[in-house]
Amino acid sequence: MEPIIEFTNVSKQLKGFAIENMNLGVNKGFVTGFIGANGAGKSTTIKLMMNLLRPDEGEVRIFGLDYATHEKAIKERIGFVYDGNVFYEGMNLKDIQRIVGPAYKRWNDALFHRYVEQFELPLNKAIKTFSKGMQMKASLALALSHQAELIIMDEPTAGLDPIFRRELLDMLQEIMLDGERTIFFSTHITSDLDRIADYIAFIKNGELMFNQSIHNVEENYGLVKGTVDLLDRDTEKLFVHVNRTQAGFEALTSNVREAGSVFGESALIEKATLEDIMYYSKRSEVHV
Amino acid sequence: MFNLIKREVIIQKKQLLLFIPFIIFFIVMDSHPVFIFLVTSLFVPFNALAFDEKTNVNVLLNSLPYTRKEIIASRYLGSLVYMAIAIGLTALALFVADRSFTFSHIALGAGLFLLFSAMTFPLFYILKQGYIFPIVMISFFLFVGGGPAVFELVSGSLQGIIQFVMGLSMPIILSGFLAIAAVIYSLSWVVSATVYERKVF
Amino acid sequence: MQIILSNQSKEPLYEQIMNQVISAVLSGEMEEGSALPSIRQLAKDLHISVITTKRAYEELEKVGFIYSIVGKGSFVAEQNMEVIREKKLKAIEEQLGNVIRNSKEIGISYDELQDILKILYEE
Repeated sequence: MEPIIEFTNVSKQLKGFAIENMNLGVNKGFVTGFIGANGAGKSTTIKLMMNLLRPDEGEVRIFGLDYATHEKAIKERIGFVYDGNVFYEGMNLKDIQRIVGPAYKRWNDALFHRYVEQFELPLNKAIKTFSKGMQMKASLALALSHQAELIIMDEPTAGLDPIFRRELLDMLQEIMLDGERTIFFSTHITSDLDRIADYIAFIKNGELMFNQSIHNVEENYGLVKGTVDLLDRDTEKLFVHVNRTQAGFEALTSNVREAGSVFGESALIEKATLEDIMYYSKRSEVHV
Repeated sequence: MFNLIKREVIIQKKQLLLFIPFIIFFIVMDSHPVFIFLVTSLFVPFNALAFDEKTNVNVLLNSLPYTRKEIIASRYLGSLVYMAIAIGLTALALFVADRSFTFSHIALGAGLFLLFSAMTFPLFYILKQGYIFPIVMISFFLFVGGGPAVFELVSGSLQGIIQFVMGLSMPIILSGFLAIAAVIYSLSWVVSATVYERKVF
Repeated sequence: MQIILSNQSKEPLYEQIMNQVISAVLSGEMEEGSALPSIRQLAKDLHISVITTKRAYEELEKVGFIYSIVGKGSFVAEQNMEVIREKKLKAIEEQLGNVIRNSKEIGISYDELQDILKILYEE
């Protein structure tokens, strides 16, 4: 498979925070959801992807190209949607189109107007009057109008109401239809990912814990529930983290199959949600 | 690159309407032509900087297909373009108002603009967002108000140089001054580009 | 072809898709050679990830129900009706076995059972 984003041993030291030795590959034609707690390093990773930050060590390649020599060629093909507003607040969409449009060789005015119409955005109203959802749509319209092949989004669904979130996911599926586009987006709302993500990348404390297809995640992780007498030094090795209460224990395993054969019918084994994985991993010191 | 320069005008389209009244104001106030050339040249570039101050413009520009070098170059080249336009318009306005001015006034105004820009532009890339504009305002008043005073102060100890300069003809003094200003402006460009290259957004 | 997915089901989504495609083929609703929706279109319509529909199609291909032509899409494969019939027959025998066992447990006679079957069959 063709990797669109490729991090090789990337390290970046920032004040009080570091990304260490990150290896990450994002496949063409798929949606990768990037999850992690607040402060885990999602935005920093995205900034490294956009060359807003440069790695101290290691290499970032996008479309197989490096930023040092192909910065413009890479950015021509990326559409970005950021969490906050990066546009001049007092300006309207028409002005922003006049600034952003000419920057791209493949910019298409007609396409832009089509998206503006489809997203029901006003052209002549100041961006500062836009709701969070409208700002999001505006960024997306700009990203799509230059026919970006890679769309990088930082928390696109944060602060959006559930209806709009679902509409957005529909739109993203729509633009994925031709199979030529790749989407990478960070979120802490894991239910968004259940619907459209093909791959899940999980970051914790600046470290990439895993980057797997949703099937692998589903097949490897499980929630085990049972009575505490089932726990001993050996069985605990199966778990990422165990929560004990007076009523029994609940634990996350990254090896459902083995847990199944060890506990058999004596424990209840359920599917683990992404939220479960994030929750238990946060408490765990061992690797997932 | 041209788009980056044009951007400075697009973001301040409303303020541009004030440009002509701005020129007229100083003419009516009977300010010195050198001062008028200086402040009108500053109008567009510094207005653009003030706008950029208020947003995450660096994140935006650096996410678009521009390199950091181009972004800095557009600021330095764009300012020259807008300075030329401002000087043209101001000269026209002075001419219409029947106020006398000389080529020396233009050269001095342009030179001072270059010096002031050279000193302040790097601040926008060194300092944190939000602190910059007040500092630039203060330094402008120091530059305009304090400059001559400092000159008076040091002139005693620089008698020799002053004597030498006074001995030269006016055109040579002016072209020398412009050349020095241009060199400082170029150095400032290099400093800004270096700082910006390492900046973290 | 219509596919209804349950999010509550224990059966994974890709298996649900597989089973529904298989029954559409076996029931004759989808004929041999007819085109299936594209992987991406189906993912969009079902609001699920592309990788899930992709997996369903891959598994269907493995068991020989469909075949794919690069750039053209996926189609219902020629089915070996004899083999399928055999399999189905086996399933029916198994199910009937259950019915008979249940019937005996509550003392339903063969004649009574036949009547019930007759009524249900002709319904």
